[in-house]
Amino acid sequence: MPLPDPQKRCKGSAVSRLIFLQELRSLLLSPALWGMYIIVSLLVGYSFIQAVSLFSQASKTALSYPELASGMNPLEGVFVPTFGAYYLCQTLLLPFIAIRIIGLDRYNGTQKLLLQLPVSTLGLCLLKLAAMGLVWIVSLLPAMAALILWKLSGGHVFWPELFCLITGHALYSLTIITLAMFAATVSDSLPTAAMLCLAATLGSWVLDFAASGKTGFMAFLGNISLAAMLRQFESGLLSSTCILSFLTLGILFFLLTVAWLPPGKPRIHKFFLTVLICCFFVSTHWLAQQKPLYLDVTENQRHSFSPEYTMALQQLDKPLFITIHLSPQDSRLHDLKNDVLGKLQRTVSTLSIDYADYEQSGLFDTGRDEEYGLIEYRYGNKQDKSYSNSQEEILPIIFNLANVKTPRTLAAPHAGFPIVINIEKQKYLFYCGFPFLFLGFAVYCVLRI
Amino acid sequence: MGNLSAVGITKTIGHNTLLSDISFSLEQGEILGLIGPNGAGKTTLLECLAGLLAVDSGKVCFNTAPLPHGQRSQYLWYQPDDILPFAQHRVATTLHFFQKTLCQSEQTLLQLIERLDLSPVLTRRFQELSKGYKRRVLLAIALLSQQPLLLLDEPFDGFDLRQTLSIIDLLRKFQNGRTFILSIHQLTEAEKICDRFLLLVSGKVLALGTLADLCLQAGLPDTATLEEVFLAIT
Repeated sequence: MPLPDPQKRCKGSAVSRLIFLQELRSLLLSPALWGMYIIVSLLVGYSFIQAVSLFSQASKTALSYPELASGMNPLEGVFVPTFGAYYLCQTLLLPFIAIRIIGLDRYNGTQKLLLQLPVSTLGLCLLKLAAMGLVWIVSLLPAMAALILWKLSGGHVFWPELFCLITGHALYSLTIITLAMFAATVSDSLPTAAMLCLAATLGSWVLDFAASGKTGFMAFLGNISLAAMLRQFESGLLSSTCILSFLTLGILFFLLTVAWLPPGKPRIHKFFLTVLICCFFVSTHWLAQQKPLYLDVTENQRHSFSPEYTMALQQLDKPLFITIHLSPQDSRLHDLKNDVLGKLQRTVSTLSIDYADYEQSGLFDTGRDEEYGLIEYRYGNKQDKSYSNSQEEILPIIFNLANVKTPRTLAAPHAGFPIVINIEKQKYLFYCGFPFLFLGFAVYCVLRI
Repeated sequence: MGNLSAVGITKTIGHNTLLSDISFSLEQGEILGLIGPNGAGKTTLLECLAGLLAVDSGKVCFNTAPLPHGQRSQYLWYQPDDILPFAQHRVATTLHFFQKTLCQSEQTLLQLIERLDLSPVLTRRFQELSKGYKRRVLLAIALLSQQPLLLLDEPFDGFDLRQTLSIIDLLRKFQNGRTFILSIHQLTEAEKICDRFLLLVSGKVLALGTLADLCLQAGLPDTATLEEVFLAIT
């Protein structure tokens, strides 16, 4: 059926641009947005200054003792704490901004008019998401200032690590924004939407906390919590599982928003679409878990064995079984996982890890039998055991079992990047400069928009 | 342009039937007055026609072809009652936004601003306006639309007699062969502007036709007013 007067309908791109600008205006007129920017400036400033101060104190010792310097890593020492401020704001403040872009339009009736404009619901939601994306990018200004200050002060930056960290925060924010949009779509009021959103984000936080030191299903749940997924990016290890999980979560909530936003669609259609979208999410998530790919983007390749060890380990053609007699809460197991097991899992495809059933009943209750602390290795018909959780002792055991000559590592030990910097004077940039800049823009927007 | 028809529109929420088997059709250029007491289902019917509310059964057709939910906005513009579009924005920004997104000329917008006397409030924010000005801005947005069918919910609510007469005149001027459905509870005003009337009570069509048709149905002489007909039928 032809349109009554097609000449009179505007081009989709022109309408999209107008809606995007209108959404931006709405955001710029929101006091909550400027409040968030000011809080971000203060938190980023505080985190950055504290992190640099601690890094400098540690560097003083490291400069005297080079063996300590190898642990001086700006990503973990400075940038992760600095971006920790964003984690707080993304979890606790960003949802309130994102809820407004859907919720306010719903409750004041603007949505009824927007849905009649020549743009699809998908397009409308994408434009709102794009406006939120731009707002998020602007919120990175204090972090960029911190980065510039760090560079100007002679600090070292390894860009792939930093890119990995920012990617993690971008994906986390995408998930939070789409979750908030969905919560605003299905809630009958803005406070209910806020409660739903916070229940999900804080619930994920609690889940991550509760699952630490647990095995089995709780450990699985802990690993798919938002905080745990973000932590992997913070460590400088890009994982296809985490990227896909974040992306599919973001897409899941976004598509659910698109499905539930139009008030005129029958509820049965919405439920049908929801089931389809959830099936897509579950299957994508399952696929992502099947063959995970990893990229160690750290400068010192701390999530990988040296190339010589990796090549030697890849010669293992039989299944390697490791049985660990440590309770999940034991710090030795934590070190073992970080230093050896994680790297082995990413290198040896035939690896199988078993945990003996140990439940720690008290804080200092470390074991009940002589086997506690033991790690057993079985390769083919040969086996060995050790109490060590050090890579230097474990790998020779494995190579010996597999009749592979222990390779010599050629790489020089990582020197680290200790540096002593005093940025106390620059704190005014974060505590006064940025807050007043944002306040000024807020006033300008109220007066001019 | 063409005809709109609604066939068997039924809407229930829980055990409450809001609309029961509503059917009617409209000719091009006609103004249909949707009249009925509060809670009769006038707004619900408009929202169902506009595709902003799901129906349990029934369909909306344009030129006898069913109009899918996703295509309604190409043919219909529904202006809800009592909304605050872009409440924090200035009136001029909001009007320009709708003028551009609805592909209307700047000249039409200026005419509407002049006819609706919106100049004094253009720089004010929508949420700060008085009820009367809010209604005028909403009417301006509605008249910026170019769809062949315009559904207006309570367009005269909040206006005094002189303003109402002026708006009736404005609606006629901006009609340009378009079809209007006006949900009105002021029967005197409805009588002045509408060609036909659909009397809705408790979600059911009690009467449909011209004033003369309604007089006949109510057993009243041709000279009866719409108010008398309404009281007689309900």
